[in-house]
Amino acid sequence: MKHHTDIVNRLLREKLERETQAKTRRHFIKSCAQGMGGLALSSIFMGCDPLQKPKGIAQNSFTERDLNPLATLAPHYGPKVKSVIYLHMAGAPSQLEMFDYKPQLQKYHGQDCPQSLLEGKKFAFIKGTPKLMGPQAEFKQEGESCNWVSNFLPHFKKVVDEVAFLKAVHTDQFNHGPAQLFMHTGSPRLGRPSIGAWATYGLGSENQNLPGFVVLTSGGNTPDAGKSVWGSGFLPSVYQGVQCRSKGDPVLYIEDPDGISRNLKKSTIDAINKINKEEYAKYADPEILARINQYEMAYRMQIAVPEVMNINNEPEHIKQMYGVEPGKESFANNCLLARKLVEDGVRFVQLFDWGWDTHGNVREGSIDMGLRNKCREIDRPMTALIMDLKQRGLLEDTLIVWGGEFGRTPMQENRGNKEMAYKGRDHHGDAFTMWMAGGGIKKGASHGATDDIGFSGIEGRVSVHDVHATILHLLGFNHEEFTFDFQGRPFRLTDVEGEIIKEILA
Amino acid sequence: MKIHIHKVGPYQLFFALLIVLQSCQTKEQVDFNAQIKPILNKRCISCHGGVKKSGGFSVLFEEEAFAATESGKPAIIKGDASASEFIKRLHSDDPEVRMPYEAKKLPEEEIELLTKWIDQGAEWGEHWAYSLPEKVAVPAITAEASFVPEDASDFIKNDIDHFILAKLNDREITPNGPAPKNIIARRAALDIIGLPPSEKQLLDFDTGKITYETLIDSLLNDPAYGEKWATWWLDLARYADSKGYEKDMGREIWKYRDWVIDALNQNMPYDQFTIEQLAGDLLPDPSADQLIATAFHRNTMNNDEGGTDDEEFRVAAVMDRINTTFSVWQSTTMECVQCHSHPYDPFVHKEYYNLMAFFNNTRDEDVPNESPVLKMYTPEQQEQMDKVVDWVTKYGDKATVEKTKDFLQFTEPVYKSHFFKEFKNSVYDDHASVVYWDDGSTIIENTYTEEASFVYLNYRSHYDGTKMTIRKGDANGPILGQFTINKSKNNTTSQFPIKPISEKTNIYIETQNNSVAKEVNILNLYWVGFVPDIPGKNESGWNKINSDFLELLNTNSLTVPIMAENPDYMKRTTQLFDRGSWLTKTDTVEPGVPASLNAWNNDWPENRLGLSKWIVDKKNPLTARTLVNRVWHQIYGRGIVPTVEDIGSQSEPPSHPALLDWLSLRFMNEMNWSLKALIKEIVMSGTYRQSSESSPEMYRLDPENELYARGPRIRLGAEQIRDQALAVAGILSTKMYGPGVMPPQPDGVWQTVYNGAKWVESKGEDRYRRGIYTYLKRTSPYPSFLTFDAGSREVCTIRRTVTNTPLQALVTLNDPVYLEASYHLAKNSFNIADIEKSIGKAYTKATLSKIESQKLEALMVLYESSLTEFKKDPKAYELFLHFEEQPSPELSALTVVANAIMNLDEFLTKA
Repeated sequence: MKHHTDIVNRLLREKLERETQAKTRRHFIKSCAQGMGGLALSSIFMGCDPLQKPKGIAQNSFTERDLNPLATLAPHYGPKVKSVIYLHMAGAPSQLEMFDYKPQLQKYHGQDCPQSLLEGKKFAFIKGTPKLMGPQAEFKQEGESCNWVSNFLPHFKKVVDEVAFLKAVHTDQFNHGPAQLFMHTGSPRLGRPSIGAWATYGLGSENQNLPGFVVLTSGGNTPDAGKSVWGSGFLPSVYQGVQCRSKGDPVLYIEDPDGISRNLKKSTIDAINKINKEEYAKYADPEILARINQYEMAYRMQIAVPEVMNINNEPEHIKQMYGVEPGKESFANNCLLARKLVEDGVRFVQLFDWGWDTHGNVREGSIDMGLRNKCREIDRPMTALIMDLKQRGLLEDTLIVWGGEFGRTPMQENRGNKEMAYKGRDHHGDAFTMWMAGGGIKKGASHGATDDIGFSGIEGRVSVHDVHATILHLLGFNHEEFTFDFQGRPFRLTDVEGEIIKEILA
Repeated sequence: MKIHIHKVGPYQLFFALLIVLQSCQTKEQVDFNAQIKPILNKRCISCHGGVKKSGGFSVLFEEEAFAATESGKPAIIKGDASASEFIKRLHSDDPEVRMPYEAKKLPEEEIELLTKWIDQGAEWGEHWAYSLPEKVAVPAITAEASFVPEDASDFIKNDIDHFILAKLNDREITPNGPAPKNIIARRAALDIIGLPPSEKQLLDFDTGKITYETLIDSLLNDPAYGEKWATWWLDLARYADSKGYEKDMGREIWKYRDWVIDALNQNMPYDQFTIEQLAGDLLPDPSADQLIATAFHRNTMNNDEGGTDDEEFRVAAVMDRINTTFSVWQSTTMECVQCHSHPYDPFVHKEYYNLMAFFNNTRDEDVPNESPVLKMYTPEQQEQMDKVVDWVTKYGDKATVEKTKDFLQFTEPVYKSHFFKEFKNSVYDDHASVVYWDDGSTIIENTYTEEASFVYLNYRSHYDGTKMTIRKGDANGPILGQFTINKSKNNTTSQFPIKPISEKTNIYIETQNNSVAKEVNILNLYWVGFVPDIPGKNESGWNKINSDFLELLNTNSLTVPIMAENPDYMKRTTQLFDRGSWLTKTDTVEPGVPASLNAWNNDWPENRLGLSKWIVDKKNPLTARTLVNRVWHQIYGRGIVPTVEDIGSQSEPPSHPALLDWLSLRFMNEMNWSLKALIKEIVMSGTYRQSSESSPEMYRLDPENELYARGPRIRLGAEQIRDQALAVAGILSTKMYGPGVMPPQPDGVWQTVYNGAKWVESKGEDRYRRGIYTYLKRTSPYPSFLTFDAGSREVCTIRRTVTNTPLQALVTLNDPVYLEASYHLAKNSFNIADIEKSIGKAYTKATLSKIESQKLEALMVLYESSLTEFKKDPKAYELFLHFEEQPSPELSALTVVANAIMNLDEFLTKA
């Protein structure tokens, strides 16, 4: 790791350089708005389409941003993908039963964990000297890439040649809440924007009738860290993730009240906007124009959101491919929805599936039984998602990221220093597996390796910041330059770290 | 606002500005702050600043800039640029020597300026933010100087206007005329009480029965004032009804919210307001209210997640207190200094830990019960407590009285189970207690027993007949006490006799219960505490007092988390964290304040009380400015220093520096820290009373209204939008105080891991309370407030970003709350014989303006089309007004119109 002060210095230098250009994104927007004048504003009333696609970083696009914060903007350089689907297994899946095959660990099964590994380490629940536990699944090398996949994921092996594995990701957080925040906002503490918020802030949305950043949850619970994992932090709240629900209104308050027809809603919005235009003539406040725009967008969203959130109209073979359960809240439904959303131009789709915390204290939370069931729940849909995107030609424009907030220990958990009811593994941040697939990703790659028992990465270790840098890179951002000024200093998703993981790039 | 285009257009203005700027540069004396500091910050400070001091040279502090560098000589020789290495290196052609290193050569103008500055003596100026002038003169506006003298007399209502007009005169811009009465009354009421004025207030003001000043005074005296301004303060205080983090369990702390409302309504001077919140517990014989005030810093989050280290999150809370204190009172971001010296503000790394030493000695330790919590006794219990305290006062010394009182009020100090060590047949059960089996034991290190002859235990016992033995030192130490613990229903606090000892020692605790199988949990022990014995043991009545004491310890009451200082024997030392990591501690530090701010007065105690006095010391350059700037921001939507989070070397410069200083001095010296006086002064000004009308041209010239040539126009805050809707509908409850309420919200919004808490919809008037009383769960705040930019209050929020999104439209169009309000507004205005009049009435109730013909026309069109639809489909209006006994197509259509009114920009905006 680099020396901290050097990094701070680099950060500072970047800020100063940027300031000499006096062009933070925000200021740029502001100054262009100042320059736009009455003519451009009045053109809104002349029937010019306020939702026209912008032409790169032209003045026009900033004008539009001013009225519509989700108007598209071009990133720093040619993006590899337009959209991201991030599949987060909340609770932290065990890499040792899914992708990181450790035959040696099987040999040491039941033996005391070497003291040298435990020294100076902190675990959430493990006390004293735990015993090592061999893999509880069987592994095979799959596809032409010969990457390892366990028998917990019989479908996934079909797409193994599409993905690139990161086998030695590490995090310094070992509790769910902080680790999830770290994974999604680059900081274990609250208050920073999530990746999806950064992406929508930087790029806007391709579809002005849908939110730019959609969150879907399954597994019966929202993530441990709460809604902050898709929050906008210090960015304007318009960039936070919008949770779409498969039960009840897909978006809060999206449905018209009982007895109000679409027609009547149209008349209502027409009346509101007519009067707001009068108001603008008097006060000349551009916020009024933005509001006129937002009301029109709200009307369109009311049609577009329920439409995209309805999976019933999908053909039967697609439903089967994903294994959807219409009317329920399931990971399979959410995977199909994710495809529909990116198909319709949503920038960032975030899936959270809860229930991966396999300590072994209860049946559902065990490595031998609970984990197998969770794998069954995701195996078919995530495989289908890759195949479906591919057959539609969307995979090359989409990045899929899969992972948890950390991994799990090679040792069996011994909570309370005694044997537990089921087989379980404790939280472990030293080494765990993630994978990516889609545009710009080297198909069938595998980067990084862990030691014989899967305790630590021994080569190709990558940090959470590295993962973020890579995602931003694929979206067309230089993560070191993509900043937002807050409380007197520029903030970035990758804080003062992060290296692009070139080894998995095509 | 009018611009005199014929006199000076924007381009001319631009050139005029340019000339002014250039003339500054050719002036004789170089201005350090305006001309030199920006160059140093931009070009030098990243290698020669707070983080890095290459070559032993730094330009962050004056003494460093002129001190000898590693070469043994100073780099800057005052008065002699040609002898200064600092200048020589800017000119050099050798890339190894030339500065800035590995960067482009400085522009000639900058080198020239630096040279001139050194030749002129290299006078070092302090940044304006770190010193406060003693006096500021109000600019005189003379007839000749004024751009439009005849209008000026009309514009100027108080001294604020002189500062504003002086700048407008410079720019040759005329301010707007005054806003119409109905507009200014609405604006002032929304700013002061967060609600529209009452019909009577408006009528009296409109007819001239009361003056503008009387109107303002009556608004300031309305209890709703406290509710409005508390909303702002609670954002700073990060107040919420839950603890945050993963589990996000509920927290009972609403007494603090009520304290803020009361303190504001009573117009508690801001210095006292500050001291009580930061250190109310350290005031002599603090009242219950002064203890409640300290909950300000108990609004930090508490982590109950399994497997988390209490010490880690205690430290996180302490750091949050430092950062929040400096964000709230000093407009300074201290986070940077946690890991290294501030890169550009004059704060050094160590000073962060000096500040930490003030906050590092409170009893709270991130435990689930949030101890210390102040028990709010019922009057009967209070009487019982008073009797105990009276007894102790009669027979005991002062220290014993205080300790007895503290223990009764908030059950501290105690040794919590996370401190226990050396577990044998026992285990620390995540977060709360130590579980003992048969033949179980633990040790508590370094314990002071207060020389008491009792030990207090808080436990839950699952079996009868557990024998507990307490020994001094270890398993072989002398027995201090031995007693039997029987099965208990809930958590119980009991008193058991021990042998008094005077020294600090390890305490060994052992449990035995042979009747229970091995490895079975026989007892959960939460804490062990020692209090001096109730004195007067030989007096009759002692037994009753002692049992009352114990009874009070076991009462369940309403509580509020508070700050309580460690007793001397529990004091923590504070150490520097290497690069901000709490696991790598280095040098021990003492409490202290940053050297670049006002000096410490040795009469102040070296604790939070002293710190709070330092903050409200009139010599502190940032406290009053911060407050004035933020109150201004609340009213105008823009601070005088626009970066309301930050007043320092990286902040944007103030638009009206003299006004900021003048108002700050006046706030402290003449207004005696009165917030109401400050708000009154601002809203009485002619600046504030202007119309906010404008033109696209003026928006282009001054998009953010930093010249104040028009009145403020900003969208209302989240709570205000809902409050206003309920108010104009006539259904807003005026009930104040109490636990958070749960107005209707969509099903399934609350969903949190491990937390069984449910959103139980409030009944009766609690559904219609002001937004400030809405229950705020950090991981899942009330959804419509979130949509309108209210935060989750996990950390201190200084500014809510104002956004404009389609989701907001969906709230005011479709949220049942707004439909209900629209229905009431319609019903209260409904006259079937005259629909135009009904619409006009509803519009006036909502906006306080008479409806203009075009607007009426648009709403009539909406009414007619709604009516046609509803008449065609009776089912539709029955569904729409399902709560009305006799729904009619007409009332339904008017409700649609009323809802449209509640969606108008003019309704959602303070203009």
